[in-house]
Amino acid sequence: MITIGDIMIKDVVTISPAASVARAAELMEKFKVGGLPVIDGDKIIGIITSRDIRRAHQNRLVADAMTRKVVTAPPETSLWEAKELIEEHGVERLLVAKDGKLLGIVTKSLIYIESGKHIDPLTGLPRSEFLRHIALKLLQEGNEISVIFIDLDNFGTIDKEIGHESGDQVLKQVAKIFKDMVIEGSDYLCRYAGDEFALITTRPLEEAKKLCFRLLRSLTNHPWPNGTRLTASAGVAGGRRGHPRPGSKCCTVHELINLASLGSTQAKKENTPVVVVGQVEIAKDTTCTS
Amino acid sequence: MLSNNQESTRKAEINLRLAQFEFPPMQDVLLIGKRAPIGPEAARKMSDALSPDQYEIISLEHELFEAAVVRRALLKILPPEKLFPVILEEGTRIASENTVIKIQVNATIQVNKVVDL
Repeated sequence: MITIGDIMIKDVVTISPAASVARAAELMEKFKVGGLPVIDGDKIIGIITSRDIRRAHQNRLVADAMTRKVVTAPPETSLWEAKELIEEHGVERLLVAKDGKLLGIVTKSLIYIESGKHIDPLTGLPRSEFLRHIALKLLQEGNEISVIFIDLDNFGTIDKEIGHESGDQVLKQVAKIFKDMVIEGSDYLCRYAGDEFALITTRPLEEAKKLCFRLLRSLTNHPWPNGTRLTASAGVAGGRRGHPRPGSKCCTVHELINLASLGSTQAKKENTPVVVVGQVEIAKDTTCTS
Repeated sequence: MLSNNQESTRKAEINLRLAQFEFPPMQDVLLIGKRAPIGPEAARKMSDALSPDQYEIISLEHELFEAAVVRRALLKILPPEKLFPVILEEGTRIASENTVIKIQVNATIQVNKVVDL
């Protein structure tokens, strides 16, 4: 999973609280940055931004012009968590720090550019990276989750029959159909890979299974162009944080998604639309995806 | 056209005004405007350097002023809730966000007691 530690700017220009606002403006101009973390000793005490500078007298001390509310995050913070933090606090910069010590900085634009790389441009859906982030987050919040993994049947053949351009339009339409059927805030859809879609939901396993059947039916019932008949196979797996039962395997989020994926493969083999793999326990200390 | 024999002179006139440096320079109260050239942190550094432990910085939620530097001894005579309404009302009449206002406060306590003879 991509973290802010991977993308942060490490050579951060900082300033002392005793410096003048004029000096801060000079540094910002020189290094072409919009904000300077204010460091007292080795402690982060604020940030002075170009906005603060516009509002303050040039003679003032940085300590008297800076924004004291600083949003910091450890380097292990995922890209998605960082995006949420920036949006939640309405800030332009996130300071990356560990044990109160500044390690780097990530800007809103950098986070948006990086997270944009994880959005599929064809369907507008997030890619698999997002799925893992959401699964971890929901589990950490104490939710029970279910994973639905949908694999379109014979899409390679369809692609060859109708052409790749038309095939792309079909994928786009599949995404739209699914998007219209899921509930924002409890169902999280992504384009996992080529003709594979995955969904994390807080619905219980039985409800997730019902949703899965509805999603597949909607594909079959849709009037596809050129008389194309589109079907899909799916696997459903449920996970919750807890202690694995004796004899049962302890899973990670990665393995949970994998189980659902294997379920879809099994469904294809058995020529049945949906295979429910079952519910697995995700041990509290093994929710890491790596 | 200037004549060559015209003389030009350059002189400097020096005026001196000497007065005793007022110490400490902030008297009883300083009201610090939100966009004033000095902020509360600078005022704190100044008062700590010139008169250690004698002044207190009080943050304000006010349209013009962001903080006040108040002589601690004054706060023993007048609690902030009694002092601030008065100085803020008067300060607002003459100040803007860009100014720092120096206020001298003379407070006299009047006590009348009746005792049994």
